[in-house]
Amino acid sequence: MQEQFTSRWGLILSVVGIAVGTGNIWRFPRIAAANGGGSFLIPWVLFLFLWSIPLIMTEFAMGKMTRYGTVGSFAVLVGEKFAWMGTFVGFVATAIMFYYSVVAGWCIRYFFLAGTGQLLNSADHEGTWNGFVDSGWQPVLFHCVAITAGALIVRRGVVRGIERANRFLIPTLLGLLVLCCLRAITLPGAGKGLAYLFTPDLSTLLDYKVWLQALTQNAWDTGAGWGLILTYAVYMRKQEDVGLNAALIGLGNNSVSLLAAITIFSTVFALIPEQAAEVISSSGPANTGLTFIWIPQLFSTMPGGALFSAFFFLALSFAALSSLISMIELSTRVLMDMNFSRQSALLSVYLTSLVLGIPSALSMDFFLNQDWTWGIALMVSGAFMAIAVLRYGVHRFRTEQINGPGSDFRVGRWYEFLIRYGIPTQVIVLIAWWFTQVIRADPSHWWNPFAAESVGTCLFQWALAIVIFMAANRMIVRRTLKR
Amino acid sequence: MSTLSIFVMVIVLTVVWGGFGLSLFIAIHKENHKS
Repeated sequence: MQEQFTSRWGLILSVVGIAVGTGNIWRFPRIAAANGGGSFLIPWVLFLFLWSIPLIMTEFAMGKMTRYGTVGSFAVLVGEKFAWMGTFVGFVATAIMFYYSVVAGWCIRYFFLAGTGQLLNSADHEGTWNGFVDSGWQPVLFHCVAITAGALIVRRGVVRGIERANRFLIPTLLGLLVLCCLRAITLPGAGKGLAYLFTPDLSTLLDYKVWLQALTQNAWDTGAGWGLILTYAVYMRKQEDVGLNAALIGLGNNSVSLLAAITIFSTVFALIPEQAAEVISSSGPANTGLTFIWIPQLFSTMPGGALFSAFFFLALSFAALSSLISMIELSTRVLMDMNFSRQSALLSVYLTSLVLGIPSALSMDFFLNQDWTWGIALMVSGAFMAIAVLRYGVHRFRTEQINGPGSDFRVGRWYEFLIRYGIPTQVIVLIAWWFTQVIRADPSHWWNPFAAESVGTCLFQWALAIVIFMAANRMIVRRTLKR
Repeated sequence: MSTLSIFVMVIVLTVVWGGFGLSLFIAIHKENHKS
């Protein structure tokens, strides 16, 4: 008998746990600052409705309908010959899990540094960060801590593990973020940060790059199109709503992003008003500049900074862990569909992640390569979801699956339009834009499959994965659908 | 803060936080109705 979430709130908190990750807290404020603050927020809100919410609805309905993970869902919906598309979607999220566990490890390490007072006692925060990542053994150790913590939660199953953990992690995370936000907006001079965040510049609003960055941010930080929500939807109750839950999760995720941005903008503008805009937009390797170098530096100059920094890094660790457990569950679910028991499937996923996360923990170049390759592959995953619905029949999918039994909110024909034209257009434009940027920046090496961030490395790794999955398709489908 | 900034802030917060609050309210109402 398959487990089910005990209530709607258990499901929603768990899916919010997927959507709210480190990207909301450290990527969103940086991208908003680099793209004109208020001007960025307008397309960002728009793409929530044009990309994230329709794909979240699609994932919910696919999982609820088929009761299979990514591979089985595609086999049922699109046909057995195309199940490799589901294998690709599952693999992209799994490849991200290998290095995301390293990111979760960084957050946990910084929480311990902040909690014991060592972080703020240090005078050289860049040195602290470089010393940590260059030490070799420390990122590996904390990667092991993160993946072990995630696996121990998933080991207990959906209700006693995933649901119970998220019932604790998500409200605590929100509470910590609200506390940090209240502290930040009461700092003298915080109003300048709010003014920067919400002031639109009409010339920036007409810049196409701002729109593309807004779409990218929605594609990456809501978890839409990853296959993770599809996996949790396997455990939805039969009479569970799809449309309203999808809206709730998309809006909830973006609410957390705004909370994080208000906190970061208020803090930075209150403490270093002259350099604020430059500091917030500074990226550093893997977007780490603001979070691990500047934030500790700022905390050390403010009253109550020690407590505030511990809260901030605890919130970041919880956000990372709640997303990591959903990635572990996705891979585990795919193996369980192939008739593995939860324990043996999880053991395989755990040991593989433990080993394959190590290169990203040891080498920032390898980490960047994986983040680049599989981050952009998420757009392909989103396109595959839209193709799956198109092949099944988008009108039938909307009326029978999305507006099916238990529906609280009737989704209209706009969904069909977005799946038919909106999502494919957004994917093509976005991938073409990212690739064009890379080719322009490095015209002589863009094709190199062994460069960290090149078009060649993306196409090579995607093609390799797709060829393998197509070759093994019959065997994978036979084992999956046997259940 | 200028009037335009306040206007954008009100619009964005109303759509995102207000939309979230409204969805949550409807979900709670529907859930109570079902049970």
